[in-house]
Amino acid sequence: MRSLYSPRRTWLHAVPAWLKLLALSLAGTALVLIDDVPAMGVVTIVVLALFISLRTAAWQQWKTLRSLLIAASLIAAFHWLTGHAALGIASGLRIMAAAMLALMLTVSTRFDDLLAVLETLLSPLRRFGVPTERIALAIGLMLRFAENFLSQWQRLDDAYRVRTGRSGSWRLLAPLAIRALQSAERVADALAARLGA
Amino acid sequence: MTSTRSLSYIALFAAVIAVFGLIPKIDMPFGVPITLQSLGIMLVGCLLGPKRAFYTVLLLLVAVALGLPLLAGGRGGLAVFTAPSAGFLLGWLLGATACGWCMRRMAGATGKGLLAAAFLSSIIGGIVVMYAFGILGLMAMAHLTFAQAGLAVLVFIPGDLVKCALCALLVHSVVRGMPSWRLDRD
Repeated sequence: MRSLYSPRRTWLHAVPAWLKLLALSLAGTALVLIDDVPAMGVVTIVVLALFISLRTAAWQQWKTLRSLLIAASLIAAFHWLTGHAALGIASGLRIMAAAMLALMLTVSTRFDDLLAVLETLLSPLRRFGVPTERIALAIGLMLRFAENFLSQWQRLDDAYRVRTGRSGSWRLLAPLAIRALQSAERVADALAARLGA
Repeated sequence: MTSTRSLSYIALFAAVIAVFGLIPKIDMPFGVPITLQSLGIMLVGCLLGPKRAFYTVLLLLVAVALGLPLLAGGRGGLAVFTAPSAGFLLGWLLGATACGWCMRRMAGATGKGLLAAAFLSSIIGGIVVMYAFGILGLMAMAHLTFAQAGLAVLVFIPGDLVKCALCALLVHSVVRGMPSWRLDRD
């Protein structure tokens, strides 16, 4: 499982993760507060310029941006048809600006760096007995098992295809779910034996 | 994530939801194309119970927010939380919890009763609660009125009803295939 992080270095890669997250949350708040179309237009153009400055690293995420562009256009068109063109344009621009800012963070920040910021932010919860250090373990386990289940799914599908000549699709969900539960029980036993219940 | 045992169920079910997003869309016998991730949400609620279902979906959303492409179509990163459909992601979290809570109330059901209980729980968690938050999200992000947002998502309801039925069948098969799996465990 590869993160959406792009290893192509850009100027934004050098900025620490916490600073980018802080900037993103401030910018997100600002976007919600602006509802005037010209101001929103200026903000969107600035964000677009920043986005373009990341070059290839950002445009690799064009697929995500395209689906948001479609949604934003539909919303703008809907409001225009019902006679609130300004509201529609502002909403559409806000969605695009917010998405570009978020994408910039995602492509320029390593998964581990973001995880470290999250763990630091949550660390006060440790006093109340919340095991925040287990987040990393849980994510690691999840990714390992996602790979495992995908290959189990493919194996089940291959077996079904050999028997019937067709893809198993939804018929394989029950066996997959049962296998998942059986693995879950085995891993739970193994973890309980190593880490204590 | 209180005990080690729960941790493994939580991680494993988050993986199941992620894998459901990787499986290409499935065409149902009568031509309704569906993606499976919301089925994963219902299934987690029914099989894991409210508390662990909540943590499972939370774990998935945290991993997505940190940049892993775990949503259907390889989407991920914080941008998915700025999309007009972001309300549905919050709906996943609370829908799975609601689904688990309902299933707990009817954990004693067997046979056809179990099918009905799982179907009802999926509808409450996977449609009523999920769409309530999805619609609220659309109202906030796209400035639609309640009626407009409701109409916009209406087209997805038939597909989701199919998923509820599929979820009920799955829960039924799992309970039959794994008699040791208990639905009333916390």
